[in-house]
Amino acid sequence: MLNRKLKRILPRVQKPARYVGGEWGAVVKDLDEVDLHFAFCFPDTYEVGMSHLGSRILYGLLNDQDGIWCERVFAPWIDMEEEMRKADIPLYGLESGTPLSEFDIIAFTLQYEMSFTNILNMLDLGGVPLFAKERTGLKNLVVSGGPCAYNPEPLADFIDLFMIGDGEEIMLELTDLYRKAVREGWSKPQFLRAAADIPGMYVPSLYEVDYHEDGTVAAIRALDGAPEFVQKRIVTDLNTMYYPKYFVVPSTEIVFDRAMVELFRGCPRGCRFCQAGHTYRPLRTKSSEVLLQQAHDVLESSGYEEISLSSLSTSDYGQLKDLTLDLLDYCEQRRISLALPSLRADSFSLELMERVQKVRKSGLTFAAEAGSQRLRDVINKNLTQDDILNACRIAFEGGWNNVKLYFMMGLPTETQEDLDAMSALCREVAWCWRQNTPNRARGVKITASASCFVPKPQTPFQWDAMCTQEELQEKTDYLRGVMKTKNVTFRWHDSDTSFMEGVFARGDRRTGKALYEAWKSGCKMDGWDQCFDLQKWLAAFEKCGLDPAFYANRARPLDELFPWDHIGCGTTKEHLKREWQRSREAVTTPDCMTKCAGCGSNRLLNGGTCCV
Amino acid sequence: MYKVRMRFSKTEEAAYLSHLDLMHTMQRVLARAKLPVWYTEGYNQHIYISVALPLSTCYSGEWEFLDFNLMTDKIPPEAVKSLNAVMPKGLRAHEIYPVKKAKPVRDIAYSQYRITYDFDGETPEGFIDAVHELFAREEIVILKKSKRGEKEVNIKEYLRGLEIEDAPDGVRVTVTTAAGNNNLSPEYVTKVIERELPQYSILGADYHRLMVYDADMNQFK
Repeated sequence: MLNRKLKRILPRVQKPARYVGGEWGAVVKDLDEVDLHFAFCFPDTYEVGMSHLGSRILYGLLNDQDGIWCERVFAPWIDMEEEMRKADIPLYGLESGTPLSEFDIIAFTLQYEMSFTNILNMLDLGGVPLFAKERTGLKNLVVSGGPCAYNPEPLADFIDLFMIGDGEEIMLELTDLYRKAVREGWSKPQFLRAAADIPGMYVPSLYEVDYHEDGTVAAIRALDGAPEFVQKRIVTDLNTMYYPKYFVVPSTEIVFDRAMVELFRGCPRGCRFCQAGHTYRPLRTKSSEVLLQQAHDVLESSGYEEISLSSLSTSDYGQLKDLTLDLLDYCEQRRISLALPSLRADSFSLELMERVQKVRKSGLTFAAEAGSQRLRDVINKNLTQDDILNACRIAFEGGWNNVKLYFMMGLPTETQEDLDAMSALCREVAWCWRQNTPNRARGVKITASASCFVPKPQTPFQWDAMCTQEELQEKTDYLRGVMKTKNVTFRWHDSDTSFMEGVFARGDRRTGKALYEAWKSGCKMDGWDQCFDLQKWLAAFEKCGLDPAFYANRARPLDELFPWDHIGCGTTKEHLKREWQRSREAVTTPDCMTKCAGCGSNRLLNGGTCCV
Repeated sequence: MYKVRMRFSKTEEAAYLSHLDLMHTMQRVLARAKLPVWYTEGYNQHIYISVALPLSTCYSGEWEFLDFNLMTDKIPPEAVKSLNAVMPKGLRAHEIYPVKKAKPVRDIAYSQYRITYDFDGETPEGFIDAVHELFAREEIVILKKSKRGEKEVNIKEYLRGLEIEDAPDGVRVTVTTAAGNNNLSPEYVTKVIERELPQYSILGADYHRLMVYDADMNQFK
């Protein structure tokens, strides 16, 4: 894997360990004994990509197949890219060093919009033509999947095929069809047409979009008999779903460096801003027996000192108490700590907290999302101020002195009163600490961070306008003025990046041209503040004759046809519309465990019953 | 608690691990190998390890040491084998022995390095002779940086022998430099060559530690 050219440049770049592979658990096969060489690309740095559970599952799944070798490819940081281009080293797979252009299938996972330029940059750096139409053969088939595939349209010119829904369910159908096509000498169009018949596979070149004069979509036409509507695929039983027995254990520091098990997929809550909450439905859970076995397997094989119980809302896992107790039996004697991300403030208990802190104690984060009860009802957070303060009280009494509160600014219907309420809530939390801490001398660190709300497709807020940058700036300035409580640190997110995220989240096919122009003008690593350059993006949109505000800041009428309306996320558009209407009246919808809201996703299950 | 020392090598891909990366990686190797290791007992309990004379990132080495503690009073017979079964690429344990039979780390006085200069094919004419002549001088003054600041020193006082030869992958310099308290990075050898012999452009330099010695030039173990 290490050749002379690469060895020459590695001493000149930051953190060279991320570019050499060779980690424990990395799969190495003999290239002569595989017939499908698969590049699994994460369009961000090694540290970010290696922290992603989904990629680890699919890496294991593909490599556990005979004849398939799946390698990992990440975006090199700016310094490494520059050295690679100077030395004429193409982007390569970490397992074998093979240039990207020699792989059969090149897959990109789409985790967030601001990584789109990295996809183009990685293809270019790997010597692969960017546009799908320039790649005429089956070699270098570029496929994609992941959360952003629920609106795949901005990438329609570049990606040959999107897999909608759970990757574990559909991936091997892709590789089977591809191997058959290669064996039988199919043309690329022949392969793509056959792929489109597989449920969950979306081939953008088989669809044409007509636009109204005002720029909105008039019609989406399926060509050549391709399905009119592509519904996502789901794993119906998580207990029997593939889960790796081993993880690649990075030898260098990454963002989330720990073992993980997935408690359930989907979320029973229905927060109206949340895309994951609407696109991962219906709720499917794993039994605690299966989880224990999987936790045991990955911990034994990895040597990790921490395991995270992951899900969209971990405290909603029915058997959480038993599971954590059983896990602790195993973990405590091995000094392995438990991490429980995504705990809701309304189900936070002393008992649970003590279990988590038994081995190591970390910070606590509560997502309040909005400051006032009215606004929390608008977004259907179903959380009261008492819930939040109660959770904080338990934490402070237990000796915690580092609490983070997450908020969003620019939520639909937000007014200054809601921002005042945000500040008041932080004041209450600080007061709560004073009254409940066993040790005032140690002090407290309360961090309130506010991000900019970005309306996402396939959510009840997909009809809403995103706040303009001016509005968001005003809100930030106002909050900085009112967040004056001692011990409360206020942090906010830069609105420039969120604006572009908002554009591509609900972008149509035409935004792909702007994406290309932006990349040509040097945009990459846009999720990193030090790299993001709004002026270049604005220039790219202007060059293409497109107005970014049309995509981000425009409120849509309820009957508008969206660019992603032919892609199904399980939840029906009728349900989303109903939820939008309820949000305007600040009426909440109970979680799925209390009452079925009729989102429609249960139709994807055999028998139609969710795991609630 | 039984203090033991592992002699290991760190080559190939593992050369690119930083000292901190190496520590974390070795802690996980020890956990995977299921040796009865001792954990610290503080707030953040972890496997106690200590690496003697850490290599710089990108350096490889074949005579490296890592001390850790066992809960048993003898070394499990298969310890080396079980560690090597769970090492990432480029890390390899060679032997494990009790620290009480070993020399203390403070005895380390010299490191021997092999530096390979990459010239992309042909070695430039006269380079080897020029380097010979350069290091035959009585005094070569360099600006040496340390935690206590910069000072001008004669590099020759820090070197014990320097050999140079042509090899298939470049020009190999084998040099013994002061280590421990008065450490001299072998990069100064490269810096001197680049400063004094600027007519040769070195494309890359690869540093590999071959051996570690005490003050009497006995192999350190």
